[in-house]
Amino acid sequence: MSEPVTVVVVDDHTIFRSGLKADLDERVRVVGEAATVEQAVAVIDELRPQVVLLDVHLPGGLGGGGREVLTRSAALLPRVRFLALSVSDAAEDVVSVIRAGARGYVTKTASGPEITDAILRVAGGDAVFSPRLAGFVLDAFGTAAVADDELDRLSARELEVMRFIARGYSYKEVAKELFISVKTVETHVSAVLRKLQLTNRHELSRWAADRRIW
Amino acid sequence: MDTVRLRPPLVRGEDRFVAGVCSGLARHLGLRVEVVRWVMVLSSLLGGAGIVFYAWLWIMVPTAAEATRRQARRPASSIAPAVSLAADVVEDSHRTTPALASAAEARRAGRLAGHAREILLGAVLVLVAVALGGRLLGAEIPLGVIVPIAAILGGAALAWMQLDDSRREQLVRGAGPGRWNGWLRLGAGLALVIAGVALAVSGSQWNVLGLALLASLAVLAGVALVLLPWGLKFWRDLAAERSARVREEERAEIAAHLHDSVLQTLALIQRRAGSEADVTRLARAQERELREWLYRDSRRGEGTFVDRLKALAGEVEDAHGHSVEVVSVGDVPLHGKNAERLEALLQAAREAMLNAVRHGGGSVSVYVEAGSDAVDLFVKDRGPGFDPEAVPADRLGVRESIVGRMRRHGGEATIASGPDGTEVRLHLPGMGAEES
Repeated sequence: MSEPVTVVVVDDHTIFRSGLKADLDERVRVVGEAATVEQAVAVIDELRPQVVLLDVHLPGGLGGGGREVLTRSAALLPRVRFLALSVSDAAEDVVSVIRAGARGYVTKTASGPEITDAILRVAGGDAVFSPRLAGFVLDAFGTAAVADDELDRLSARELEVMRFIARGYSYKEVAKELFISVKTVETHVSAVLRKLQLTNRHELSRWAADRRIW
Repeated sequence: MDTVRLRPPLVRGEDRFVAGVCSGLARHLGLRVEVVRWVMVLSSLLGGAGIVFYAWLWIMVPTAAEATRRQARRPASSIAPAVSLAADVVEDSHRTTPALASAAEARRAGRLAGHAREILLGAVLVLVAVALGGRLLGAEIPLGVIVPIAAILGGAALAWMQLDDSRREQLVRGAGPGRWNGWLRLGAGLALVIAGVALAVSGSQWNVLGLALLASLAVLAGVALVLLPWGLKFWRDLAAERSARVREEERAEIAAHLHDSVLQTLALIQRRAGSEADVTRLARAQERELREWLYRDSRRGEGTFVDRLKALAGEVEDAHGHSVEVVSVGDVPLHGKNAERLEALLQAAREAMLNAVRHGGGSVSVYVEAGSDAVDLFVKDRGPGFDPEAVPADRLGVRESIVGRMRRHGGEATIASGPDGTEVRLHLPGMGAEES
């Protein structure tokens, strides 16, 4: 392994931060911490970590929580990557941070190694989809496949990948199941993430409006 | 009939024509309401004695609601502010201040109403005194003055009923059967006042009544214009009071819920701190319950397929202390012609989840995709896996309760097992129009 990945942990609970730091293994190095929106923006700007572990619910700022940190750090976005971390399974929490630019989402109940893996994946430029996030994507985009050329909908292959992830398959298992490489799975997942972030499809807005997101 | 010495307290009743004085009096004296009402009406004919008596009681006797409130000026629940504080910090830190201010405002308004009652009484007495004094001094007050003044006073009294505390309460709640009634009274009161003013201006000469009516309307419009800001402020106070009340009710509900659930669980966890398995299970069950309560979808009724599946997953989780994560896409209602088949699918899913937590390792993932034509359900664990063919025939679990059950209801079950874990796939087609 090369250099450990530098990480800033943003969470308003001190106990959770220290517990998380203890759980992460030597492949990542926590270089900074923050507890509020303002602190997070300042620390991220100063330290420029590779990955920010970002709690969705944060005090301070204008009350926008993790999403606000993302929008205020937008200039750094391509180089600093964000991984959202939340106790909440609510669609509005998860999808809004993803839309704001986070590269993935894990729940706080995930184990240390799981979170470490997710950090490495995000640092490598890939997206991290939990089963629940995959479920939201399927719910939002609909489960019917369309032709590949429709940019703002999911292709048949992407749908397939999302379904496997929703079923609890790891990327490796998905690759094995579909007879493709893990790299290809990662490409599909990143494509879905991009669509989720960029699309303005009215189905998606309606889905969001139904759940009072955005 | 045993005549109890202890009479019920004298309060104005809910059953009312005007202000509930008669029904209250009837209850207090143990007489029938009709009797009291007739006595009141008849005595009104005796030089208006009844009216004066009635007005006196109306002003001095509180309604039942007022009386109870006065007795129990309860301080707000001590837990509610704490919870609300926490909620407000999350939401918006400066939102507490207006709420507190509006509460104080409301209290002030209440006091004002109390004073207004005394002022009204005083005004009436002064008027009577002036009339009597004028008489004594030999100044004959003509009927043309008394009638309009009486009309104005009557109208004012009718409109005043709107400010009666219990009415105000209804106004605050913004609904209630008394609303229509209330507007009618207000209208009648206004009409009386206008007529009174018109009479006073025209000096009971009927031919100039039209002109006088116009003049009095102009006067009233002017007065209304002057009073409008005050009225608006009062209305805003009422709105603030209403929203404060709603918020307080919400807080009370949250406090009650947290007390019943989270605090109880925390107490349990402290007592079982030695057993890791118990603590995990308790925490997990409480988390699920709280989550359910926080994020529940209030628009959706009970009894959809996914709701039931989540409940089942929760039961399995509780029984085995093993986390079961349910991800769902789409949903179908549990009633209707497919109810029985969906129930079968749920039971098969439950069996699959039980197997997964018993034999599998790691967390169990459940994914359900409920579309218009079929329901697909997947239960995946990360255990060592097993060979479905090698399961002995007497083991009913997989063979009978999953595969057989699905087949009987026109669905199918497949089991894929490997070193990475086992996945049970349940497919139930024909959810659409076609009858199975």
